[in-house]
Amino acid sequence: MRFRKSKLVLVLVTLGVFLTACSTGGGGTGGKDTLTVASSADAVTFDIQNTNDQATTRVARQMYEPLIQQNDALELVPGLAESWTALDDTTYEFKLKKDVKFHNGEPFTAKDVEYTMKRAAESEQIGHIVGELDVSKIKVVDDYTIQLGTKEPFGPFLTHLAHPATAILNEKAVTEGGEDYGTNPVGTGPYKFASWIAGSEINVERFEDYHGTPGATEKIKFKVIKENSVRLISLETGEIDIAYDIAPSDIAKVEENKDLTMLKDPNLSTGYIGFNVQSDTPIKDVKVRQAINYAIDVDAILSTVYQGVGSKANGPLNHLVFGADKNPLGYEYDVEKAKALLTEAGYPTGGFTLKLYVGDNNAQRIAIAEIVKEELSKLGITVEITQLEWATYLDATGKGEHDLFILGWTTITTDADYGLYPLFHSSEFGKAGNRSFYKNERVDELLDKGKSTVNPDERLAIYKEAQELISVDAPWIFVNDGENDTAISNKVKGFAHHPSGSHFLSGVSVED
Amino acid sequence: MHKYIFKRLLWVIPVLFGVSLIVFAIMHFSPGDPATVILGESAKPEAIAQLREQMGLNQPFIVQYFRYIGNAVFKLDLGRSFINNRPVIGEILIRLPNTIKLAGLSITLAAIVGIPLGVIASRKPYSALDNTTMFVSLLGVSMPTFWQGLLLILVFSLQLRMFPSTGFETWQQMVLPVITLASSSIGSIARITRSSMLDVMGQDFIRTAKAKGISEFRVVYVHILRNALLPVVTVIGLQFGSLLGGAVLTESIFSINGLGTLMVNAIRQRDLVVVQGGVLFIAFIFTLVNLCVDVLYAYIDPRIRSQYK
Repeated sequence: MRFRKSKLVLVLVTLGVFLTACSTGGGGTGGKDTLTVASSADAVTFDIQNTNDQATTRVARQMYEPLIQQNDALELVPGLAESWTALDDTTYEFKLKKDVKFHNGEPFTAKDVEYTMKRAAESEQIGHIVGELDVSKIKVVDDYTIQLGTKEPFGPFLTHLAHPATAILNEKAVTEGGEDYGTNPVGTGPYKFASWIAGSEINVERFEDYHGTPGATEKIKFKVIKENSVRLISLETGEIDIAYDIAPSDIAKVEENKDLTMLKDPNLSTGYIGFNVQSDTPIKDVKVRQAINYAIDVDAILSTVYQGVGSKANGPLNHLVFGADKNPLGYEYDVEKAKALLTEAGYPTGGFTLKLYVGDNNAQRIAIAEIVKEELSKLGITVEITQLEWATYLDATGKGEHDLFILGWTTITTDADYGLYPLFHSSEFGKAGNRSFYKNERVDELLDKGKSTVNPDERLAIYKEAQELISVDAPWIFVNDGENDTAISNKVKGFAHHPSGSHFLSGVSVED
Repeated sequence: MHKYIFKRLLWVIPVLFGVSLIVFAIMHFSPGDPATVILGESAKPEAIAQLREQMGLNQPFIVQYFRYIGNAVFKLDLGRSFINNRPVIGEILIRLPNTIKLAGLSITLAAIVGIPLGVIASRKPYSALDNTTMFVSLLGVSMPTFWQGLLLILVFSLQLRMFPSTGFETWQQMVLPVITLASSSIGSIARITRSSMLDVMGQDFIRTAKAKGISEFRVVYVHILRNALLPVVTVIGLQFGSLLGGAVLTESIFSINGLGTLMVNAIRQRDLVVVQGGVLFIAFIFTLVNLCVDVLYAYIDPRIRSQYK
């Protein structure tokens, strides 16, 4: 009897192994069942209202969905909301999709939207994204209709609702998860959370009850590989299928490899060299700032430091952002003009010293600092470079200890309001974003008006004027608009960049 | 002997107290505000102030410190990460096995290769063999880990496709990181073995042993080596300790999820709680390793053993 039992077990085990072997052989598409993607940083937490970082969004985007989605062309398309209408300047009504299920089996209703929005408004990390939302105006009309309103008319409201951080949560899941919800997330997206080895890898699996087109690959593995060169090597050896954030110096190597494809598309970031316009140095004078603008060869920075990655910045806004002026607002490289302006300002031979602050975590920015020092020495201006650890750097520039600084900004909402208001409005001095301590009453007025205007054409005109004024006042030297650089194996099908840097993966498959 | 070990164990307590106080003070008084880092460069000042309040950063230093120590000692609670809100003790325990495996395998490899190298070199000092061995070990010590790790990946992962370039679960994945980390210790161990051997060789009892006609092999491996091992054991202990906390570069090149990377990330992100927890842990292990080294002395050297009695 005992013998027979063990035989039975043996048969069952063999059968089990056989079945598993069959199932890992690939799904109906005949491709690999796991897509492996590597980036340089680990996610922070999947309680997406408690963080606002790209590493998290890159994974969270596959699991969660907001009311409105912004597609790869940055158009607003239905997410969990089927349609929406403006009832007046401050109120919108959303019709929600029916038959949507959360990963825990709960049905999705207007109550979840209400819960998510109220919770988001309280969040320190993403509160600014739903900042104009008026919680008292949230009204659940029925299970599949909800109204959301703002305090004042707010032009970019819908774009803000398309931000991945405003994706809809399930109240039950969040409450049950408590402090550990961040590692047990529940969304409505095409993939559901499977496992997370902190610092190493995150796994998600296809959600079989998904309301839209199901994910093309059964599983996606997100690996953390910090070293740029090792990430690329792992792609070359086939350990991974997609490598995000390829370093400028590695791009040529990918392009030479016939098994790989290099994808380069613009993203929403912009890089700049800023002046502290209130520092106690000659750069208080707009002429001196303009002179320095003329003296820096931005093209040379692009070709040497960025090696052709990204493009020259037109002005303070990244060119993909709504409201960005298409005319070049920067200053052409012209040392003679720079000298003339300096003479006009009363510094014909320079003769002053500027403190340039730069963070220690970005090799390109450090290289730019050296170039600035070199170029300004031609005008007799001494530049002292101070390299600071990142946290200290944010602190110091927030307090205005610097004369010059180098930094970037990503307009995650794709709207001029978020791209200009925090950086140039006088209410945002210091840590809030305006580290140039720039103040121009007309610009303040325009930025306020742009925020509260709903008509897109009027907004364009307002932001155009604001950008022109900023260009003349020269609180920045515009440097570059960034780029997403991803290397993929030729076996990968269906991958495309999203300008935000967090790409949709549900349509991506890998051939065997 | 047991009394001695117990006494040494008691010493761990003041050491950990001192370490925690120093780390806490350094992190507390260094510039850069954790709340700002967590909320990022586009956060509102009110939000930052609110978060500081929540994190208890506005309380006096001493209050913060003793609350931390109280939780650590009585509840075994090292707090939750500022960044991802996970329990620190869990974050450490997930990574500890990887780090211990990496450091343990590396130090074993280093001892297995380093000691014989040192012995061989000491047999004929200043000969070609000695010079070659010492040159190779010097190379191991001075080659930057970073460069060496990438070189190994290029050759063995990319060109020969023998070992994977990332991870630390299978033995294949362990080969390259262990070699990378071990190579600098091999050099140190070989050099200290050699000089210690030369010291002992010149002593009277060795001449006596030789005069008694004991075989060359026995003289070298029993009489000289055994007596020369004391400083070697010290070095191995120290190396192991520093490998535990100092494997950062190796961990980051091979994407190994260990204590080193955890700590470096935490320091960058001003995640004070994780840094403190990590340092305390490493200090604890370091003290234990030192204790083991001291106990080992007693087994190797009867003269020391007699002192304990």
